[in-house]
Order: sequence, then structure tokens, then C-alpha cells
Amino acid sequence: MTMKQQEMIINKIKDTLVRAGSTFREDQKEIYRQAIKKETLPRAKWALETILEDAEVAEKNRSPLCDDTGIPHVFLEVGPNKSVTGADLEAIRMGVAEGLRELPGRPMGIKGDDKQRLDQSGGLDEDSAGVLPAPILIKQVEEDVLRAHVLMLGGGPAIRGITHRVFHKHSVSVVTDEIVKRASEAVALLGCSPCALSVGIGRSQFEATALMIEAMVYSDFTVQSDLEKEITDKVNESNVGPLGLKGATSVLATFMKVGPQRASGIRVVCLRPSCCFEPRMASVEL
Amino acid sequence: MKKIVTPITDEAINQIAVNDMVYLSGYIYTGRDAVLPKVLELIESNGLKEAGIDLQGSVIFHTAVSPAGVGPTSSNKLEIESSIPVLSKAGVKLHLGKGELSSKTIEELEKYNSVYAVIPPVTALLESKTLERKVVAFPELGMEALHLLKVDGFPAIIAAAHGKSLY
Repeated sequence: MTMKQQEMIINKIKDTLVRAGSTFREDQKEIYRQAIKKETLPRAKWALETILEDAEVAEKNRSPLCDDTGIPHVFLEVGPNKSVTGADLEAIRMGVAEGLRELPGRPMGIKGDDKQRLDQSGGLDEDSAGVLPAPILIKQVEEDVLRAHVLMLGGGPAIRGITHRVFHKHSVSVVTDEIVKRASEAVALLGCSPCALSVGIGRSQFEATALMIEAMVYSDFTVQSDLEKEITDKVNESNVGPLGLKGATSVLATFMKVGPQRASGIRVVCLRPSCCFEPRMASVEL
Repeated sequence: MKKIVTPITDEAINQIAVNDMVYLSGYIYTGRDAVLPKVLELIESNGLKEAGIDLQGSVIFHTAVSPAGVGPTSSNKLEIESSIPVLSKAGVKLHLGKGELSSKTIEELEKYNSVYAVIPPVTALLESKTLERKVVAFPELGMEALHLLKVDGFPAIIAAAHGKSLY
């Protein structure tokens, strides 16, 4: 890799991370406009309007949507004639670090050895780039492209997220009812609703979580399958509302990815009640 | 939208009720789970004045202050919610955060004529309405130190006041 190629990747990833942390996508803005129109409770409408106003200011200033700027997650799509080298991955890592400094990300990386990182006794890294990215996910795609998606995953949804098996009893509704039950409890406790429910269903905890990330990557608030819409509608019956203030809009959409399954009595479900700014995501071709 | 300006008087608190949407302006303190227990220790040891802290008519915003900005953390975390009665007794008139509080805390708020408001986690918008910021005490806590902000028109909704709540 030449210096110029490395610099190109670093700059593209840096810019993509800043966009992910500061910008609502068009479908995200549209779903908020629709929710504001439908919401009848004045305080719920006010909360939605304030969140959308925040997104406008953040986009204009290229500044964080939320002070919990999140943990960077990178998802790579690799086409048939493309390759990813160790040098590419290093350039991506450097781009993430530069992006965190520019956003700026909240400096919340914990220093120290295993024990110090567990009990937080090692102190905080003052550098925003001390927040290291999660392991990169790579997906083989048919399109001949090398594309990076940068997601910024906040702490609130991580507290309320659940990855656990469901005994499906050979019934789709048993699985979806359990997702609705878990999501309703999680959304009520989150505080930063309305949510986008991100769901992955796989054969192991790893696969389910990877599928949950993939569901966010390919998400579109204005396109919902029957199952996704059913889950959204049922969780909205909980009447948690924006910021827990009651109202019709507890969940804006559901993004679900069902992976390959095996002959077994269980499905492993990863559920993340993504907060009112998520999925904070932007994409770039490298 | 009603306007609330610090320092907040008892008369001003009597004018506001649950469900009121307000704009908050003036100087406000910030603190969350790391620093609030230390502020309680100062109250107990009569050390507030020496530390340069004046809680009369004040606001405590449950947030860190980092280069990324400010935004509410959950007010029902143990160290935060348990600080509310003591801080209210010491003069704090408005606690600013997010999430549901217990009925016991709501009773304590009423006892000291203090209120709780929910502020949306709208960091970019709040940044545009923050005029000054400085560390007041416990600088070793970094972004979780006790800060003082000067703000102009922070949006919030009164979620608990006079024994009533939105929840």
C-alpha cells in the first residue's frame, strides 16, 4: 500500500465516523417527521421535535448528536474482485482514531490491565481515540465493491440489550412474542426512546450478534417487513413514548435479520433497543 | 413554554407543575454518580462554602461534561437518586436528568419544594445553548467533576413536582 492509498483510507474512515456520529440519514429524518405528525400527546410531540432539532444542529455543526458518542463498530463489505489486507485494516483503525478526535468522541476509554479495566481503577484515557473500535466484521457480497460502514453504538442500549435463546416450539409467533416481551421491558427502562429495535437471530451468540449488526447496516426506517412491522406495533402498545414520557411512539422501526438455522429447539436472539439517535451509521466506498 | 431562571425561588417553584415544558437559563451545576456522593459529604461537613459551592436556588444537571458535550444520564442510578433528598434539603430547587424516579423520592422532593425535570439527550442543541463552563470542585474526576455551566434556554419538561409525577 502506498502512503497516498493509506491516507485516502484514513481520511475516508475519519469523515465517515464523524458523519455517523453527527448526522441523521434521510430515512431517519423522514420517520421522525411521520412520528411527529402522528403523535397526539403534546409532550411526546415536543420530545420528538426536540430530537429532530438536535439532529439539524448536529449535522450543521458536524458535532455529536449525543454526548455518549458510542463505541465504533466497522462492518466491511467485500466484493468478488476486492481484497482486504492487514495494511487496509490498520489504515481503518487509524481512520477511526482520527475520526474520534475530530468528532470529538467522549474520552471514555479505560486504561490499565485486565483487572484495572474491569474495576475502572486504571483511570480514563484523555484522548478520544482511547476508545478502541470493536473487532471488524467482514461480509462477502455480490456487488464488486469494498465498502465500509461505521456504526457508533451507545451505552444505554448496551445496558438494556439481551442475547439469549428462545425455545421456539416450532412457531414463529412464539419467537416474535418473546422478542416483543423482551423489547417492551427494555424500551421502558432505556430512557432514550423512541427506539429502533435491532434484532439478529442465529445459531450461536456470536452469529446472532453479527446478524444484529448486519440488520442495522442494511436498515431503512421507511422499509419494514411484515414481521418487523408487527414487532414495532406490538411494542408501541406499551405506551412508553419518547423519553419515557408516554405516547404512541416508543419504537420507530424494527430491523431484523434472520440467519441460517439448525435443527434444534432453540433460536438465539440478539436484541438491541437502539436509542433515539441510532443506528448512528454512515458508509463509504474505499 | 415557561421560562425558569436561576437562582430559583420557592415562589417560582410554586408556579410550575408536572407536564410544564420549560426553558431553563442561568448558572447550573452538573454532577453524576461519581461526584454527587462527594458533594453530600461536603454538605455533612459544612464544607460547601469553602469549596465555592452555593446550592441555594440551584439546579443539578445529571451529566458529565466532556469535549463531546453534555447529555442526561439516568437519574434513577443509585448514587444519583439517593442524592436528591439531601441536595433538595440543602437548597437545590431543580434536578435535571432522565428516567423515572421512585415514589419515595417524589415525596422527598415535595417535602423540600424541589422539582425534577427531564431533559432530552440533545447534545448538539444543548451545546448551542451553553455559554460558559468551568470546573468548581473535584477536578480529579475529569469529565465527572462538579462543573458550573451558564446556559440559555435548555429545554426540559417537569416530570415530578408537588407530590405528582408523569410516571
